[in-house]
Amino acid sequence: MPRPFPGVRPIGKPFWLMLPGVAWLLVFGLAPVAFMVAVSFWRSSIFGTTPDFVFDSYARIIEEPLYLDLIVKTLRMAALTTLLSLLVSYPLAWFLATRRGAWKAVWLVAVFVPFWISYVVRTFVWLPILGRNGLINQSLMALGITDAPVEWLLYNEGAVYVGLVYVYTLFMTLPIYLALGRIDPKLLEAAADLGARPWQTFRHVVLPLSWPGVLSGCIMVFLLAVSAYVTPRLLGGTSGIMLGNMIASQFLSNNNWAMGAALSVTLVGIVGALLLVTGRWIGIAEVFTGGKK
Amino acid sequence: MAAEAVAVSIRKVGKRFGNVAALDDVSLDIRRGEFFSLLGPSGCGKTTLLRSIGGFEAPTEGDILIEGRSVLHLAPYERPTNMIFQHLALFPHLGVRENVGFGLRMKGADRAASARRVEEALRLVRLEDYGERRVDQLSGGQRQRVAMARALVNDPAVLLLDEPLGALDLQLRLQMQEELRRLQRQLGATFVFVTHDQGEAMAMSDRIAVMNAGRLQQVGTPAEIYERPANRFVATFVGHANMIEARLTGRAAEGLAEAEGPAGLRLRGIAPPHGATDGGVLAVLRYEKLRILPHGADGEGIGATVVEKTYMGSSLRFACRTGAGATMTADTPNAMPQRDIGEGDMVRLAWSPEDVVLLTD
Repeated sequence: MPRPFPGVRPIGKPFWLMLPGVAWLLVFGLAPVAFMVAVSFWRSSIFGTTPDFVFDSYARIIEEPLYLDLIVKTLRMAALTTLLSLLVSYPLAWFLATRRGAWKAVWLVAVFVPFWISYVVRTFVWLPILGRNGLINQSLMALGITDAPVEWLLYNEGAVYVGLVYVYTLFMTLPIYLALGRIDPKLLEAAADLGARPWQTFRHVVLPLSWPGVLSGCIMVFLLAVSAYVTPRLLGGTSGIMLGNMIASQFLSNNNWAMGAALSVTLVGIVGALLLVTGRWIGIAEVFTGGKK
Repeated sequence: MAAEAVAVSIRKVGKRFGNVAALDDVSLDIRRGEFFSLLGPSGCGKTTLLRSIGGFEAPTEGDILIEGRSVLHLAPYERPTNMIFQHLALFPHLGVRENVGFGLRMKGADRAASARRVEEALRLVRLEDYGERRVDQLSGGQRQRVAMARALVNDPAVLLLDEPLGALDLQLRLQMQEELRRLQRQLGATFVFVTHDQGEAMAMSDRIAVMNAGRLQQVGTPAEIYERPANRFVATFVGHANMIEARLTGRAAEGLAEAEGPAGLRLRGIAPPHGATDGGVLAVLRYEKLRILPHGADGEGIGATVVEKTYMGSSLRFACRTGAGATMTADTPNAMPQRDIGEGDMVRLAWSPEDVVLLTD
């Protein structure tokens, strides 16, 4: 390989330049995970959690249907949230990507501004909307559609979907919007020229070319939803509880760190395995390489 | 022209963007099996016209007929046309074979028959061994061929070409010109080719329509366009010519007319149509139709001095000043005896009246 700067003597490969990045990964990435894995093998009793190497917590997860059921339910809720987000986001991303001129900026800002607000606050706003005396119930009663407030709007699984989709939808919209924006409009004309009706153009050109955006959006939303804590806590009541709430209560109220850690490790393991399996099937490599093979 | 020989009929087509007319009252017929070029500078409306035929622009006035049927109400996917786009617009997520087969697949053609036709089309453009490639693994010329095959496999009534050779370097460009011409002859297909390159239009076309500022300037064979430009724009846009402002002084025999140029220069040339016998005219004389002779030659032509000699490889260009002070330019082959003429030399300039075209606008 020719030297980029003739006359400048190379001083060996400067591995030390990698140091900050590697240090960051070790301290903030690997160390906490390693610690969590270690804690999941500790022994817990009514007196608290003590360092050890036992499989008690994992055994309980497998033996007690309470945990397994909650894991399955959490995965199901995350999957459904992802699907709902996709259904909301694709048309929204398409709308944004096809705007032109000054209005495009206006629409983009309109979509993105709410996300400058903390997601906790954005979750809270559903309380006065869905609540017993909330906006929807007031409207329904004012219009004479119902006589009494509808009780099932809040504090159940459905309300959690509303909150999660609303809070995380942008993580789906953004990558799809970017992928759509990269599609050369001439390709749509070429498809039409070759006899493709609009839906065929969508099916055979737009969808495949935006697929990497769809995948990264789905992965993002799924990962966020599967570890949701605030939204089910605020909107879900007892029936809308998710694994994140269970893990938090192990640490905060049950004082059972080992169990909390074991549940976390289990979730990470399952999600990682899911990503690996589906990755083979849908070409996940493209998501992380920007669509280049 | 018999109606059944017309592939595309453009009738009084206009296209307005606000106050700007991209197309203004354009009418022309493109014959079946013809290589027809739309030639003009950028922004002249040639691409707008082509896209109107393909269905990507809607004219605001007039009508477009393909094979005798008005197509204005048809979407691009319903029209019997196929386009080769300026930047080809190959589908990056599909391989060569899938790109070529896209049109057949969209129309739900029989799989086995489609596969056969795709192979046939690939053979036609000499890419039979490249079906499995991804389009980003192809060279510029190969990508061109894929675009051609992708359009031609659908057997369009009219093939529309939007400056597809614009991005290629000169050698490849000449090669692809030949290739396009070969395909068109072989298939007997109707090609409508948009270009701003007059040489390309000349070399490839059966007929050319010259456009400027949304208006049709002239329609004719390359020879007609070159030898008998209809107006000042065509005369300047196509080839190089001496343009001499003159006044008509009278008619002469065999469709010729007399005119007087600056400093008493007497000109005889092909009379303008519409029988004008006086008024201002523009005398157009192509550089290479002006003969330049060494001073000692016989008394033919008028005396002049060489002001500037430009070496252009296969030809030489002499800018001369006549005794009366007019400037005239002559192109000659780079050969004897003109090769030895130098700047400052006295020469004689001669031309035939049949090579001078007198234009009233």
